[in-house]
Amino acid sequence: MTTTANSLLVRDDRTKRRNAAELRFRAYGLGAIGIAALALVLLLSSVLSSGVGAFSQTFITLETSLPEAKLNKSGLRDPAVMAKVSTFGYAPLLRDALLTRIAELGITTSLSDKNVDAMISKEAAASLRDHVLANPDLIGGKVTMDVLADGRIDGYFKGRVTMESAARDGNTSPEALRVAQRLADAGVIETRFNWRFLTAPDASDQRPEAAGLGVAILGSLYMMLVVLVLALPIGVAASIYLEEFAPRNRLSDLIEVNISNLAAVPSIVFGILGLAIFINFSGLRQSSPLVGGLVLTLMTLPTIIISTRAALKSVPPSIRDAALAVGASKMQSVFHHVLPLAAPGILTGTIIGLAQALGETAPLLLIGMVAFVREYPAAYSHEAGLFGEAATALPVQVFNWTQRADPGFAERASGAIIVLLVFLAVMNTVAILLRRHFERRW
Amino acid sequence: MTESISTMAQLKISARNVEVHYGDTIAIKDVSVDIPANSVTAFIGPSGCGKSTFLRCLNRMNDTINICRVTGDILIDGQDIYDHNVDPVQLRAMVGMVFQKPNPFPKSIYDNVAYGPKIHGLARNKADLGDIVEDALRKAALWNEVKDRLGSPGTGLSGGQQQRLCIARAIATSPEVLLMDEPCSALDPIATAQIEELIDTLRQNYCVVIVTHSMHQAARISQKTAFFHLGNLVEYGDTDQIFTTPHDTRTESYITGRIG
Ligand SMILES: Nc1ncnc2c1ncn2[C@@H]1O[C@H](COP(=O)(O)OP(=O)(O)OP(=O)(O)O)[C@@H](O)[C@H]1O
Ligand SMILES: [Mg+2]
Repeated sequence: MTTTANSLLVRDDRTKRRNAAELRFRAYGLGAIGIAALALVLLLSSVLSSGVGAFSQTFITLETSLPEAKLNKSGLRDPAVMAKVSTFGYAPLLRDALLTRIAELGITTSLSDKNVDAMISKEAAASLRDHVLANPDLIGGKVTMDVLADGRIDGYFKGRVTMESAARDGNTSPEALRVAQRLADAGVIETRFNWRFLTAPDASDQRPEAAGLGVAILGSLYMMLVVLVLALPIGVAASIYLEEFAPRNRLSDLIEVNISNLAAVPSIVFGILGLAIFINFSGLRQSSPLVGGLVLTLMTLPTIIISTRAALKSVPPSIRDAALAVGASKMQSVFHHVLPLAAPGILTGTIIGLAQALGETAPLLLIGMVAFVREYPAAYSHEAGLFGEAATALPVQVFNWTQRADPGFAERASGAIIVLLVFLAVMNTVAILLRRHFERRW
Repeated sequence: MTESISTMAQLKISARNVEVHYGDTIAIKDVSVDIPANSVTAFIGPSGCGKSTFLRCLNRMNDTINICRVTGDILIDGQDIYDHNVDPVQLRAMVGMVFQKPNPFPKSIYDNVAYGPKIHGLARNKADLGDIVEDALRKAALWNEVKDRLGSPGTGLSGGQQQRLCIARAIATSPEVLLMDEPCSALDPIATAQIEELIDTLRQNYCVVIVTHSMHQAARISQKTAFFHLGNLVEYGDTDQIFTTPHDTRTESYITGRIG
């Protein structure tokens, strides 16, 4: 006790060195977490800052007169005849309405008719036409509608387009922006939340303001459904057989190795496989959610099998012995005791596999899911059979939009990424909740 | 010597020239033994001598180990349990087992005990099943401790209670033979005493085979004792005789604590 060398109150050199090493290691760990967190924050903030814009949209409130003479020359109100008036017939009506509004507000401007036309989205005439064809009684009167502003005007209110950039832009001008600003001050132009981004189908290169994710979201949902319905039962059944019933021999070792290999195969290879088997050989429709779902099923299966087997392995063997010893059959021991204990792991693995599949782009490009889908495919109606028509998927839509020239699409792409991330976050939350629910604490 | 005993009590299990291999290594060498009904038989011997291996042959739990190979004959009530036509699942309903480490199902106490009767269709209705559960828990001396919380998890019990729960689970299916592999190895003296008392009462209805490392326990509760050493059955006889006048020097050294 008197010699300091043996005192417990004084740390010896070894202890000091060990403590220092531990401290250093903790610092490294904290550093690593810091870097990861920073990367996450950077990613999220960049996506959010460039993507939130996609969720709001600039609308112009216009009271448009619908002259009988132009829209219903025959006077018959026959839908077939009325449909002959194309969107080009409706565009001037909107322009006139906007010009009237500008005049009413006492805004003087040197904008030509063409320039005023350019302030309204090309989509607006189409939606006005649809509205009129659906309600022919409106003809001869006036209709008040919120129509989409052109992408540049929209960009101006979101800060993407400035006076300087407009001066260099052939599609708009500082004068147009000035008028737009006056209209906004008067409450005619308004930027607000845009449900259409989540519901509308894609739009052509010239009208980013009208493009939406509706078809892509549906396509992704259908594919996830196909994956869930096919991959979960097949994967779980295969895992149970391999883990609990299959004899351990060369063949089962070979299968095991190959499943691990499959999990590491680049996803694009599954795309090639899908193209060869499902499209060229089986003759299923190109770019349909069914083929996409089948390809993603192939891709997800190894993930599900590996995680399910890990979950089954982690169930203590004593539970199996206990069941067998009271006279349960192998199958009873698996289904009554092992599977319930493995369920949280299986579910988590499945949802992680699904999330992986949801974000997968490469194989879908190969099977033609880049399809530009301007209208809701008939797929989403009863006649076509749900999974048969051309569709697109969220990640492919992102890829698609980033390819396009108009800067409005860059914003849309980031917006689509946000939607994708929200879906992933929801799925992971569900995975955690299910885990909690099934994980009984005993 | 063995003959004289087996004529006294009814014969339940009869093993003839049993050999067990794990892959290339031999774990049990040419063991022949006759175990009488309505008695407690103790297997003793140093660690690794094959007691558990032999015990697991009696309800074919060894079938679950891939590399394990059993030769020879084991007859229960004169029927060869390794016959092609014998379904091990059916056999295990008749030969219950309690493991060295308590392994209750992660389910409620009630479900733990009710599981066996349920899958074998032993109860005609819910009330019937409840009676079976109560009866098994009473026999395992656990009823008074758990009767108010049958719905709570079996894994939430103490180690000794869990072991008694496993015993209740094993006897709920009314087996004819009960195999117990060191059931008291993790228990305190009080729980051990309770289980020993239980084993003594179980003897009236069952043929009990117990593996134990405690000489005292073997001496206290068993009528017959088998001493295993390095895979051989060295000596088998009445417990009194084994512990007082062992024929083999190895037995003597073991029970006096010189080998093992
Ligand atoms: N699953 C197995 N695979 C391979 N060898 C095994 C296996 N189980 C047991 N053995 C071997 O068989 C021999 C007997 O083992 P066993 O478990 O029967 O011993 P034991 O008498 O029960 O010992 P203990 O008193 O320590 O429980 C040992 O040498 C052991 O290594
Ligand atoms: Mg043992």
